Amino acid sequence: MTERLPLPYGSRIKRDALVSARFDGRELPALEGDTVASALVASGQWVISRSFKYHRPRGPLTMAGQDANTLVQTPAAPNRLADELPITDYPETTAQNISGTLMADRNAIIDWFGRFLPVGFYYRAFYKPFGVWHWWERMIRKAAGLGVANLSASPRYQDKQYLFCDVAVVGAGPAGLSAALKAAEGGASVLLIDEQSELGGSLTYHRFAIDSSAVRSEAETLIANVASHPRIKVLTHALCNGWFTDHYLPVIHGDRLFKVRAKSCVLATGSSEQHVVFRNNDLPGVVLCSALERLINHYAVGPQGGLVVLAGNDQAWMTALTAAEAGLSVAAVVDLRDAPDDAALLAEANARGMTVHIGATVYTARRSAESQSLSGVDIHRIDAQGEVGELIAQHDCAVLAMSAGFMPAYQLACQAGAKLDYDDDRAAFTLSGLPAGLLLAGSVNSTHSLDAVLADGRNAARAALRSMGMTTDVDESVTCAAQVNHPWPLFPHPKGREFVDFDEDLQIKDIVNATRLGYRDVQLVKRYSTVGMGPSQGRHAALPTARLVAKATVRTVSETGVTTARPPVKPEALGHIAGRRLHPHRHSAIADRHDAAGAQWMPAGLWGRPAFYGEPDDKPRHVAEEVTAVRTGVGVIDVSTLGGIELRGVDAAEFMNSFYTYGFLKQPVGRTRYAVVVSEQGVVIDDGVAARLAEDHYYVTATTGGVDRVYREMLRWNAQWRLSVDIANVTAAFSAINIAGPDSRAVLQALGCSIDLSADAFPYLGFRVGDVAGIPARLMRVGFVGELGYELHVPSLFAGALWDAVMEAGAQWHIKPFGVEAQRLLRLEKGHIIVGQDTDGMTHPGEVGLDWAMNRTKHDFVGRRSVDILAASAPIRQLVGFSLDLEAPKPLEGHLVIKEGDIVGNVTSCEISPTLNQIIGLAYAQPDDANPGDLIAIRTEGGVLVQARVEALPFYDPDNARQAL
Amino acid sequence: MKILTCPLNGPRNIAEFTYGGQVKPMPNPTEATDQEWAHYVFYGDNHIGVVREWWMHTPSSYWFIVERHNQTDEVIRTYDPAELFDAGAAPATEPVAADT
Amino acid sequence: MSLRSPLAGSGVIEGPGGLRLNDLSLARREGVRGAGAREWLMAQGHTLPDAPNQIVASGVLGWVMSLSHHEFWLLQPDSEASLSLPASKAVAVGVWPLYCQHSHAWLQLAGEPRDEIMAKLCGVDLSEAAFPLGSVAQTQAARVSVIIAAHQNQNGQPVFSILVDQSLVRYLWETIEDAMGEWLE
Repeated sequence: MTERLPLPYGSRIKRDALVSARFDGRELPALEGDTVASALVASGQWVISRSFKYHRPRGPLTMAGQDANTLVQTPAAPNRLADELPITDYPETTAQNISGTLMADRNAIIDWFGRFLPVGFYYRAFYKPFGVWHWWERMIRKAAGLGVANLSASPRYQDKQYLFCDVAVVGAGPAGLSAALKAAEGGASVLLIDEQSELGGSLTYHRFAIDSSAVRSEAETLIANVASHPRIKVLTHALCNGWFTDHYLPVIHGDRLFKVRAKSCVLATGSSEQHVVFRNNDLPGVVLCSALERLINHYAVGPQGGLVVLAGNDQAWMTALTAAEAGLSVAAVVDLRDAPDDAALLAEANARGMTVHIGATVYTARRSAESQSLSGVDIHRIDAQGEVGELIAQHDCAVLAMSAGFMPAYQLACQAGAKLDYDDDRAAFTLSGLPAGLLLAGSVNSTHSLDAVLADGRNAARAALRSMGMTTDVDESVTCAAQVNHPWPLFPHPKGREFVDFDEDLQIKDIVNATRLGYRDVQLVKRYSTVGMGPSQGRHAALPTARLVAKATVRTVSETGVTTARPPVKPEALGHIAGRRLHPHRHSAIADRHDAAGAQWMPAGLWGRPAFYGEPDDKPRHVAEEVTAVRTGVGVIDVSTLGGIELRGVDAAEFMNSFYTYGFLKQPVGRTRYAVVVSEQGVVIDDGVAARLAEDHYYVTATTGGVDRVYREMLRWNAQWRLSVDIANVTAAFSAINIAGPDSRAVLQALGCSIDLSADAFPYLGFRVGDVAGIPARLMRVGFVGELGYELHVPSLFAGALWDAVMEAGAQWHIKPFGVEAQRLLRLEKGHIIVGQDTDGMTHPGEVGLDWAMNRTKHDFVGRRSVDILAASAPIRQLVGFSLDLEAPKPLEGHLVIKEGDIVGNVTSCEISPTLNQIIGLAYAQPDDANPGDLIAIRTEGGVLVQARVEALPFYDPDNARQAL
Repeated sequence: MKILTCPLNGPRNIAEFTYGGQVKPMPNPTEATDQEWAHYVFYGDNHIGVVREWWMHTPSSYWFIVERHNQTDEVIRTYDPAELFDAGAAPATEPVAADT
Repeated sequence: MSLRSPLAGSGVIEGPGGLRLNDLSLARREGVRGAGAREWLMAQGHTLPDAPNQIVASGVLGWVMSLSHHEFWLLQPDSEASLSLPASKAVAVGVWPLYCQHSHAWLQLAGEPRDEIMAKLCGVDLSEAAFPLGSVAQTQAARVSVIIAAHQNQNGQPVFSILVDQSLVRYLWETIEDAMGEWLE
């Protein structure tokens, strides 16, 4: 390992904590606090990866997790950023996207015939002649993508948590620190979020002044004040990956996704330093100025072999001073401009004996064959915008630090609806048009000098406080004259390889060619060329692309703009989005009884319901036995999932009458009525049974899946009608079982029932309240399955006791619990429809034989007029019963009814009936074919047409004698 | 995620609410033409401006009215439906003899 | 005849520092709703909250929670649930009894990190600063509707009472237990 720089350099490393690590199979000496990338550079290796398309060697560009050059493979996952990975957590990493070794990648040959791979190559080359794509696809798929997913990696526990604050500050650089402190001092609770491991942002590496001592102590004080403020919660290593309406921020922190809900939000996200576009600007060793400053200050890494600084602004000169102070040998400072803005910088450089080239650029970077990294640069004079003149100098160097300017980290602001406009004087994009309570501070807000940045932070905090009514303070004035952007740091070379977008290996000509092919809109340029699509999402490519497209299409940069910013800001693991399983499921109060009885569960909305009882392998036999028990003896089914709604009040009857289709005013107390709900469009949306407990009291059931909607609609209508009725959803308050079969009365009697159960005293469709086995219950005589039957509704805490009592009392009649499968078959034999299964989003009452339930003599009910209009128009389809012999192919739900080659309907229910010994079902057919004895053609599996007989409903017990016993 | 202020429960995530469509006057169902009725049932206004909508706070089953600008998505006001519907809006009672 | 909580299992999870989730589904709770509810309860001698979504102590036995201007629940953690059919007829003009004893399961979460635990499930800020004792939220937790009330238990400790549709209590219990995980280790 090469020596690290002495203290105070190396704020993030522990010098005495050696870490044994390996990269790509070779020993990599490192210190605790290093990232994989800093350890590699410290050991003298710049090459970390191979580029996506040309397999060119690449090294770190930003040292801040902002570029794709540092993508490496960890044992668990591909595409991790080496400049973010703590070496202690990731001691084993390898290079990815190589064939062979990192230093000798066989695919590097692609770089040499890259001119045969023009931009848009894939779109254009592989689709002709027709069909050839399939041949190419295999090769391309193998070459495409980076890294290897570890399919055997075990999932980690990842979850989500809300975090609440008054002000969320994104970015803990000088602007963010200043905003956080001011907001907290104003009484706000503050959440300060930063991706880095320490507070300070640029304060941790940039000097801001020739004599940096004053800045350093100011920074230390600011950081200490923020860290110790009781109203500031700090989240470092945290990535705010999006901005959503009303300041809802997803923040990734370790294995947790915080859902931050702030009352206002300050974006102090800073700016991305921009590269200079010249030939071979992608060589390992060519870095942004801030990257070199980070290496020196964070990791005490002082790369050897000579440094050239390429300056488009004064900041880069500061980098040269920092490097020189740290003992690096500065071969030259090259300034694209005619002079630095601050003449003192030139004087300082001269005083330190640095070679300075003014009005010049690096035109070509040279590469060492051995290290595959930078070995030197050719300096040319700049003659005009983007045009160079003669070679004026050559310097050997291992490091080139460059800064062509700064692009606001606009992603979050633009997600919030902000606009980017290009300021031609400053050659920079600026943001405007943010929603209320969203503030910008610092370099994202185009302020760059430290005093201005700190003041801008305080102003953002004031504005945030004002938006919450916590202050009436007015802003202090902020002026920032700093010109940080060079207007044209792009230098085309006849041999190309001047990279605009490192992720996607795009050069100047690739962007320009896209415009020549007609893709003038920057959005189309992006889609055609893939510029900005890589992991760095245009942080470095957007500005040069906008400039190139603007020039090529003779428009302003403002008109050209940048592509739309959408969340996430940086790639995120799907595990963060998936998080924990939160899939609500409902249990009946007696679910454990069903488990004990061997229930096989099936979903019904959020509910689990027993499908049948017994071994799954033997399902048909179990279902048949359950059906037989109900038809010949007695069965019991848990119907707790049925909806229940209670209506009480002097207007209860009038409400019922206005909401449901049937007449309810004269419904006798102690009787039930079938209750159908239609929508205002006249579509059947639910049905149930309405029991009248008293003149002013109804208890209505609704379907399992429909009750929430019915309840909602009831409340909404009564918000308009304003009748004196209390409407309560009591679905959960009551559990219910249905005891059905010829022996059901005997079982009920054996249970001990306070009600006279004789057919005269408690007839079919009757309703009673009484005690069953000492349990207070509501009893309804129902006939859904077509046998003598009683539905018992009991308060839910009693459900377990009731079930146990029924099973015990019913034992001598061999009572059998039955599930949804048997129930569906039993009701089908009776021809009863299930709303939602036998109806669809278009079904009106006439189509399913519910005309009788439409009371046309009463004044009005919801949907009445629509029902009338539909009833008066020619019918299109009719739900009919059909039967088939057992040998026929059994139609499935959804199979089509065909007439003369056209689809005229579909099967909605179909089962094998053990009672009737045939296949029975319900289907929509043409009204012409709806009479018993007609034939309808059903297209079954494999396209086989079967002719089914239309049958009168019900199939079973047509006189309804059995349920009325 | 948008926050909507429920008149009963205060500001909450929009996920806590159920949308109930635009508030629109119902034509007299017995007197309207088929066209007028179909227009009421199937058509909604689609003008830029402030619209009046039904929203329900799901956990409390509380319906209220939202006035919202449909271009900016700015919520102007939320209030109890009693402001729009007084007790006189109830459907008329039917002739007694008609019940079955 | 015995009452059964809809929550199968032990009904208690305890962690360090007084962290505790327990099932109170068999404790007594009742409710009334209607235009006359407030006056009727006052006449019964109850102390009532001034506004919706608050909870106040009433007498020695329990707490009165307001869910709207016209709906009040009486929570009595130390009394047992009634064995009789809950009343369904009006107890006075415009005062309808509610079946909250049976419709809602009742969980109680005590311990210092209770707001952080709930923040994993619920989008309402339940920290003491934002949700002081006496606050009630009708909201969603873990994607299901819940009523959360901040009050004190018999030892004077601050707790959250969490009332949820009884058919969802097993799910919610498991979900809260999972959210408590990092404090149980």
